[in-house]
Amino acid sequence: MRFFKDFKRFFNYVVFAAKAEINSEVADSFLSWLWWFLDPLLYMFVYSFITVIVFDNKMKAFPVFVFLGLNTWTFFSKTVKSSVKLVAAKKNIVTKVYVPKHMFVLEKIGVYGFKMVVANLLVVITMIGYKVPLTWRFLWIIPITIVLIIVTFGVSTIIMHFGVFVEDLLNVVTVVLQLGFYISGIFYSIETIGTKYGFVTELKGKIDAPYDQLLVKLNPLALLISDLRRVILCNQDPHWVMLLIWTGVGLIASWIGVTIIYKFENSYVKVI
Amino acid sequence: MSDITENAITVSDVKIRYRMFKKISLLKTILAPYKYKKTELFEAVKGVSFEVPKGQILGIVGKNGSGKSTLLKAIAGIFSPDEGTIDLHGHSVSLLSIGVGFQPKLSGRENIYLSGLLLGFSREKINEKIDEIIEFSELGDFIERPVKTYSSGMYSKLAFSITAILETEIMLIDEVLSVGDVKFKKKSYEKMRSLITNTDRTVVIVSHSSETLSSLCDTILWLHDGEVKMQGSCEEVLPKYEEFMS
Repeated sequence: MRFFKDFKRFFNYVVFAAKAEINSEVADSFLSWLWWFLDPLLYMFVYSFITVIVFDNKMKAFPVFVFLGLNTWTFFSKTVKSSVKLVAAKKNIVTKVYVPKHMFVLEKIGVYGFKMVVANLLVVITMIGYKVPLTWRFLWIIPITIVLIIVTFGVSTIIMHFGVFVEDLLNVVTVVLQLGFYISGIFYSIETIGTKYGFVTELKGKIDAPYDQLLVKLNPLALLISDLRRVILCNQDPHWVMLLIWTGVGLIASWIGVTIIYKFENSYVKVI
Repeated sequence: MSDITENAITVSDVKIRYRMFKKISLLKTILAPYKYKKTELFEAVKGVSFEVPKGQILGIVGKNGSGKSTLLKAIAGIFSPDEGTIDLHGHSVSLLSIGVGFQPKLSGRENIYLSGLLLGFSREKINEKIDEIIEFSELGDFIERPVKTYSSGMYSKLAFSITAILETEIMLIDEVLSVGDVKFKKKSYEKMRSLITNTDRTVVIVSHSSETLSSLCDTILWLHDGEVKMQGSCEEVLPKYEEFMS
């Protein structure tokens, strides 16, 4: 398949471009890499304020809980948002040499994925601080992350294609992402999670049944975030069936995205 | 030894249309849907066929807007033809001198790698050539600085050096035979000449200068309004073209 051939040919480019983008950010300002920690840290304080003071809600190891949601969400939303104007942003490459355009999405996934890994050091630090024990279920973060990448790639490629032609897509995407932020359970838990073997034994969900399950299962980000918390904080299995279904949906979305890009990418030059 | 009749470029019945894709706005579409008419079609290249044997130099002439640059970009693979085929028989190709596009925030050195990788070269090959590129570009210490700090002359010097030193089997040259200051112009012209006259390399040059073309090219293709008006040796085509243009 052409996708794999192109992937092999341009893989080195994607890796180098992602690294170079990260390097240039670091070089740009002295403290820029510090912001990769400071951003989630400061936001965590904001959400602590809302949750603990405004809603008077006590939660065990709240920072771990928030970082897991926030870092995952930031990766997804930044990649999707940057995809909207991605082809136009790469204008000086696109008009001069052929590149399969979804390679730019992979580059962004590399950049924001790296930042997510760095920000997740905060999870590790706070886990140590709150003495959250590691269990073998910790390993399930690997399949959960893979599903996250597939879903993000699928959504971003489709958004990138339409972003070329639709001028005000960015406005729409921004609003939808804002909504997504609130319905993905970043500073609260949608469903009730916890087991008696876990560090968190019971955490009440904010949404009543059966809507909590509906919200978690129909929104891949809510699912992934909740599952990350289940495996790390509660020693609880993720929603395996739903993860599998979202892998399928993500792969189909990626296939659709790559197919429309191959079909229309040669017209991009004529529009931007 | 390669077969002398082997073709490097085969272009058959290529048509390239600019579908006048207008950008659309969701808001405007909702508020005033009737304003959006069907997209217009504009055919820039209308069924062009030609072949370039390996090692040959083809010149393309024609007035502005006759489809020369569009055709060249199609050969480079930047956009594919709407009808017909372009077969490069597996040869590597690059558009010379305009570069492959720089990332302004990155240093010159990083951009050399990015351009090289985009052109399909391996890291090793670029490592091998990078000193030569830097030397040829005459940028000195500026190579470590972000490209956004470059003057336009430095920018085009670097662009030229990358595509000239990272040689591809097929080179496409769009007009620009002069880059940078007087000294660099001379040097780049000499370099280009030696690249072009290398017998292994297949070259397509788009130019308005009959002088340049007659001194370099084996055959000439004359495009007029997207169609081939004439094709043949320099002696046959160029005088008629000049007569037509005057």
